Amino acid sequence: MSIALVDLTKRYDHLVVLSRLTLEIEEGELFVLLGGSGSGKTTVLRIIAGLILPDEGRVELGGRDVTWLPPQQRDVGFVFQNYALFRHMTVADNVEFGLRLRKIRPPERRARRDELLELVGLSGLGDRLPHQLSGGQQQRVALARALAYRPKVLLLDEPFGALDVKIRGQLRESLKGVQHKLRVTTVLVTHDQEEAFELGDRIGVIERGWLVESGAPEELYLRPKTEFAATFVGGGNVVVGKAEHGHIRLGTTELPMPAAAPAHPEGANVRVLFRPESVLVSPDPWPEDAHVHCLGEGTVGPRVFAGSVQRLRLRVPGLSGSRALRPRPRYGEAETIIEAARPTVETDRGTFEEGSQVWVGLETYHVLNPAGLKLLVLSTHPSGEDAPAEQGVRLAHAVHCPGTLLSVLGEPQHASPARAALDALRHRWPEAHAPQLDVRVRVGHPAKEVLEEIQQAHSELVVAGRSSDGGIGSMARAILQDLKIPVMLVGEPRHAFRSLLICTAAGEPGKSDIRFAGRLAVRLGAKVTVLHVPREEDPAVRARAERHLEASRATLEALGVTVTTAIGTPPAVERILAVARAEDHDLIVIGAPAPRDPAQVRGQDLASRIVLGADRPVLIVPMTD
Amino acid sequence: MNHRRKGSAWLPVTLLLVVLLPLIIMPIVAIFVFAARGGVSGFLNTLAEPDVQFALRFSLLIALATALVNLVLGTFAAYVLTKYSFRGREMLTILVSLPVAMPRVVVGTSLLLLWGPIGLIGRALDPLGLQPMFAPFGIVLAHLFVTLPYMVSSVRPVLEELEDTYEEAAYTMGAGRWKTFLHVILPALKGGLFSGSLLTFAHSLGEFGATIMVSGNLRLRTQTAPLYIFAQFEAGNIEAANAVAALLATISFVLFFVLLRLTGSRRRLA
Repeated sequence: MSIALVDLTKRYDHLVVLSRLTLEIEEGELFVLLGGSGSGKTTVLRIIAGLILPDEGRVELGGRDVTWLPPQQRDVGFVFQNYALFRHMTVADNVEFGLRLRKIRPPERRARRDELLELVGLSGLGDRLPHQLSGGQQQRVALARALAYRPKVLLLDEPFGALDVKIRGQLRESLKGVQHKLRVTTVLVTHDQEEAFELGDRIGVIERGWLVESGAPEELYLRPKTEFAATFVGGGNVVVGKAEHGHIRLGTTELPMPAAAPAHPEGANVRVLFRPESVLVSPDPWPEDAHVHCLGEGTVGPRVFAGSVQRLRLRVPGLSGSRALRPRPRYGEAETIIEAARPTVETDRGTFEEGSQVWVGLETYHVLNPAGLKLLVLSTHPSGEDAPAEQGVRLAHAVHCPGTLLSVLGEPQHASPARAALDALRHRWPEAHAPQLDVRVRVGHPAKEVLEEIQQAHSELVVAGRSSDGGIGSMARAILQDLKIPVMLVGEPRHAFRSLLICTAAGEPGKSDIRFAGRLAVRLGAKVTVLHVPREEDPAVRARAERHLEASRATLEALGVTVTTAIGTPPAVERILAVARAEDHDLIVIGAPAPRDPAQVRGQDLASRIVLGADRPVLIVPMTD
Repeated sequence: MNHRRKGSAWLPVTLLLVVLLPLIIMPIVAIFVFAARGGVSGFLNTLAEPDVQFALRFSLLIALATALVNLVLGTFAAYVLTKYSFRGREMLTILVSLPVAMPRVVVGTSLLLLWGPIGLIGRALDPLGLQPMFAPFGIVLAHLFVTLPYMVSSVRPVLEELEDTYEEAAYTMGAGRWKTFLHVILPALKGGLFSGSLLTFAHSLGEFGATIMVSGNLRLRTQTAPLYIFAQFEAGNIEAANAVAALLATISFVLFFVLLRLTGSRRRLA
């Protein structure tokens, strides 16, 4: 019995836990949904079983639409994380329960019960009560009980979560055996990637209600498409290089662009994944014909001995200028560090001591799909002048990123003119160069619809107009505080973004705003000025400010951005606005006010005052670290 | 882990005994001492009197009826209060346990004001020849009012302890709500139901304040055992009162020890 999930969306209040999840599971397949806690994986399972209903979308079992059927009519077997065995019933009665409900005659029922107990290796324990069994045995009973009535679909929610590692291994094997024997279509939910690899015919990686990627285990490990999947399944190095004449430039070295790699325009960022075990380390350079992609010489950093392998951190100066996404560089660190895992071999002893000079090469590497910064551009006046939306579309064009152009209407009848107006905005460029923006029109309360669209589309940057009083406005505040998504507020638009002014005042410069602005600057090819205005003039404060500025410079330069730093004299707001005007920056970047900042309530916080006073776009970045 | 003091305990224990002696121990002993004063035959003769026979039988029947009705009503109330979320759930939960805090006499008065011959509803029933008050029905009503909280509070914790997945497992296997309740939930509630019924029974057996208001204390018609004891005492008939008191006390002790064993063994299981 195949399972088809189409566009499933589930919300709790206004929190979107599943967004437009579409997935097909074939007959007899064992599909593993892999995700962290709160990823929505259990929600998917419960929707398939009918224990909760989706807000939108469809569930089909064997081609039959069961979206609105109660669980009793779906014919699924469900193994719960806590097993939920009926404690007053014996093991045998637990297993027979589903058969009794189906009015199976006693001799047949008993035969089936014995068959199943044998299948899960519990023959002879039928008379026990659940509390007389070990955890592993209880788990087996739960499995036998769920399979007794030959359900069309078997659903398992973290079935081995509560067991210790050794028993887990045994049970995995036995589950795999049972599933192969019965060929029942199975969905298993887990957070354990090892379990996913061992059991799954296919694995789906789920994150924040979003099915990031799915595929066969090896496919997912060796050739993932997304950075999330790449780093969620197994450790890995992800380094960003540039596409150059059919090659990938990584610092001073070059790797050939594999033929199977997704297309990258010349000069675009290329994310290269290499697993720690494919990083080669040698005291001598490799000969020409060794089929090793040499990254140059490096220094061994901290080393961890883990029995069969040893994990090394390598500093490779030749890679500098190419940014490492994973392992995530420490804030303020400019050098590129990569991770290697080498098998422990007696003859290598002493070679990989910390500080030794080695040659670093790659056996294999893989190119991820090009990433974008997902934009959400809000159009407020789809019919008339709409400077913010225009600016947003221009930004989407400049950064080559996918996104959504959204208009929220109070009345459904204006939908088609609104859509036409949005289309017109998008088509100011010839089709080949048009920004990759989906046009969407939603009907309802603006703030509510916008917040929901951000969660469903996983937007990473929102472009909007200022509120009617010229300030941040309650919608942008909600986006910043509740969703922690950066918002660009456009008053008077700019033609292009060539220089960014990142402002930090009173206290530490925020790390998240520096990182985010850096990411944006890389995509825009813009230069950056970091301006720090301390609260007061004081040599100690100034020294600290200089240290912070150095750290932010290192972080930004590691991204490949040209940086200027400056320390201004208070008052902060006036200084920032004056510098922005005098140096004619295209965008002011500022950290979001802390949610409990009393000044924010009165609209007197730094961000609010800058938005009110600025004659150019302002990007507000929430603090996330 | 509570840390029990070792050291010498005789002084505080003796002090406690000295306090408890006139407070609890001596009164209990007194009942039996007085009951035994007329000898075994006197005791048995008293119990054989028709008034006594009626009062005891009536009390047991009322307690049984109360416990049976409460079993259904209390379980239903506990189920609704734990398994459904609705507006006003908190309020309703408080309301259900409110009778514990109400003076029994007030309970009786309130019932009279509603069901009595001049009460809000009773006024309408009177012309039809229906008189719920001063009749067994009224007594059961009063006892239900008083004992519902005991039933609910015995069942509710057990229900709350049952994870939602317990029911969900039954649903996925094909059981509807009713079958799930019958085959899966009810058996799991066994212990709670039993101790709730015992508590109800015991409280009903000894109920006095509300009963005296709603029963009218009519000999051989609505006189329960506690009312009989009171009436005999007032009439100076101390030996008759004592015999019944001793019997009631014995029944209470038995019920109490059964309950103690039951909760003790359940705790050991858990």
